[in-house]
Amino acid sequence: MSKQDGSGRQVTVDPSDDLTATILHVDMDAFFASVELLEHPELVGKPVIVGHRSSRSVVTAATYEARKYGVNSAMPMSIALRRCPQAIVLEPHFERYTHFSKRVMGLLGEVTPLVEPLSIDEAFLDVAGARRLLGTPWQIGTRLRERVFADTGLHCSVGAASTKFVAKLASSRAKPDGLLVVPRAETLAFLHPQPVTALWGVGGKSEEQLQRLGLRTVGDVAHVPIDALRRALGPANAARLHELAWGRDARVIELGRDEKSVGHETTFETDVTDAVVLHRELLRLSDAVGARLRRAGVQARTVSLKLRFEDFTTISRSRTLGEPTDLGKRIYEEARALYDAASQGGRAVRLIGVRGEGLSGAVASLGLWDDDEQWREVEGAVDAIGSRFGAGIVRPAALLGETPRRRISGGDD
Amino acid sequence: MKFHVNRDVFSEAVSFAVKLLPQRTTQPILSGVLLDASDGALILSSFDYEVSSRTEISAEVDEPGTALVSGRLLADIASRLPNAPVMFSTDDGKIAVSCGSAKFTLLSMPVEEYPTLPHVEDRTGVLPAEDFAAAVSQVAVAASRDDVTPVITGVQLEVGDNSLSLVATDRYRVAVREIDWDSGSGSAQGTTALIPARTLSEIGKTFAHSGTIAVSIVHSDDRELIAFSADKKTVTSLLIKGNFPPVKRLFPEVVDNYAVINTAELIEATRRVSLVLEREAALRFSFSIDGLTLEAAGSEQAQASETIDAHLHGDDTVVSLKPSFLLDGLGAVHSEFVRISFTKTENPNKPGPVLITSQSSKEQPGADNYKYLLQPNLLLR
Repeated sequence: MSKQDGSGRQVTVDPSDDLTATILHVDMDAFFASVELLEHPELVGKPVIVGHRSSRSVVTAATYEARKYGVNSAMPMSIALRRCPQAIVLEPHFERYTHFSKRVMGLLGEVTPLVEPLSIDEAFLDVAGARRLLGTPWQIGTRLRERVFADTGLHCSVGAASTKFVAKLASSRAKPDGLLVVPRAETLAFLHPQPVTALWGVGGKSEEQLQRLGLRTVGDVAHVPIDALRRALGPANAARLHELAWGRDARVIELGRDEKSVGHETTFETDVTDAVVLHRELLRLSDAVGARLRRAGVQARTVSLKLRFEDFTTISRSRTLGEPTDLGKRIYEEARALYDAASQGGRAVRLIGVRGEGLSGAVASLGLWDDDEQWREVEGAVDAIGSRFGAGIVRPAALLGETPRRRISGGDD
Repeated sequence: MKFHVNRDVFSEAVSFAVKLLPQRTTQPILSGVLLDASDGALILSSFDYEVSSRTEISAEVDEPGTALVSGRLLADIASRLPNAPVMFSTDDGKIAVSCGSAKFTLLSMPVEEYPTLPHVEDRTGVLPAEDFAAAVSQVAVAASRDDVTPVITGVQLEVGDNSLSLVATDRYRVAVREIDWDSGSGSAQGTTALIPARTLSEIGKTFAHSGTIAVSIVHSDDRELIAFSADKKTVTSLLIKGNFPPVKRLFPEVVDNYAVINTAELIEATRRVSLVLEREAALRFSFSIDGLTLEAAGSEQAQASETIDAHLHGDDTVVSLKPSFLLDGLGAVHSEFVRISFTKTENPNKPGPVLITSQSSKEQPGADNYKYLLQPNLLLR
């Protein structure tokens, strides 16, 4: 926020068993600079500025070591170098940032499809539905940070809270390389001592106006009569800040228009005509889709099949279910029926994919009976074993003998 | 073809014949009503390969013959004819209808292309029309309206020993009622038929005042259908293929924990309190010695609650029910009081279903054997 140098860092060190902080804000630490340091490990721990070394350019990013000298992003390079003359300046490589951003977003998508990317290096996650399989928000955040570091070598900070606004504030307070959980009950205790600039949208002019009213902390804003706020900021802003100051933020995780689906697909090394092989592949893909749906605590109402034939013509077929499902078996039954109807007399297939669409959260109404009850238990047990010993340890018999392959691609696109 | 008929008799017969015709059909010819005049009688029939209707009325036939005319148009005309005898005659592909001073000319569709109606002979049994109509309306509310799973869009009829049970479900609730049934000299016990709920509802209404209805259930290799007939009227419907889920076993034998409430009061309160609910949301019902409290969490802007009288037997109980599902059951019990029974369950992730039955007074259970079983939602707080 104001200084971005990691001073005043707050983190949750002990495992928190709180279940109310289900909105996670994940923010990469000094993202551009950290990506550049992957290429220059010898510079780790040194003040590094990313940008062009010309007097007219501005700072694109800076490591925490450089920020301690008062270097900030968007600052003119000349001022930055005056403040920190010993800084090493590296040229930016935007294609690398995009690459790493995609990898990180992909990892977030494995936690839940309910991911709202805010920018290249930060995103909100709603993990309310993932709690049962992945544990508390503290556990999810901790594991996510380990996973991001293991896969990319980059550090990120995670804030967990019951609203987006507080989650984002929490991640900024946890920086660098930290995790801060703010349970719903502790929201105001966390929020009120923060400076007014912590409020979303306060800076520059509005900060000045709040200072003029003698309001320095979020708590001050919360307790000032709202009429006074209205006179200073106008009715809309006043109402918004008042709500935020009391930790109220009704905004939910917003997905991109086409992101409400979970899918996997396979491109074969050589085109396949054998229906048995294709059925087996559908089973594997369907199981993978089911496992991801269950992990995210969501269910799909529609199953769709994608086929690309040897001549690159691509078709997709979908079928809507009577009941939304998160079971690999049900998804496989539909995907297989769709394939059998669309196989066009066994034309050679280059790519095959299965996708669950029309995602919804936990079941709205419980049924009196569940045809899939036993399968639900089976797949739940497979999930539990997979999460302890690694995915693919237990597989349908039809898939035995295959080594887990790394040719699935796909995601929440 | 040439005949005279009584206007009221004719109008009633046409409206019966067209009632089950689909609003839209892929083949225009199936939207027709077939008129067949012979020997002092006029037979009117319609058929769309799923459902057929056939009725016979007396007519003064001058010249026997057949004609096929648009059903909806004929029904509209018949209902607005002046009060006078109706005369029909065909001439060169045209049908002339005259009644008093009103005259209509209608185009006749090709009779030879019209499909032959299914003919059913063997009677399976007879049932009382009024009870049947009531039972169908009570049970059909629970049938699924989602064509994705066809078997549960039907009402299942099951012939028992001198009784016929009607069952419907949409997975979230099950409604069951038994009525009298007489198989006559034959033995039909165990025979079942699964009929589209929408069709059966119309059939129930059509025959509500017919005294007794004769029923024929046909399961043969080439066709599976059911026929209902009374008062020289016959309706047939194809049966839905597939196995109806064994939902009767979901009903508990005995339930000690229950509450008795005035039905109208509960309906009113449920409608009122659910005004603040978001769509698909559930109401919280807390039963205690002090009565029943209904609470709607609603949104940030609005909440609601109300307490009404309830006579609780057994433990205090809290359930979360979807108001529309509850109202369907309450609207179907047809009694001044209603009994809501709470079944127990071992499953922590799924509350036990509640059973709704009729109650003629606070103490006296209802005489009918209607049962409506409803699955509550998980309690969220």
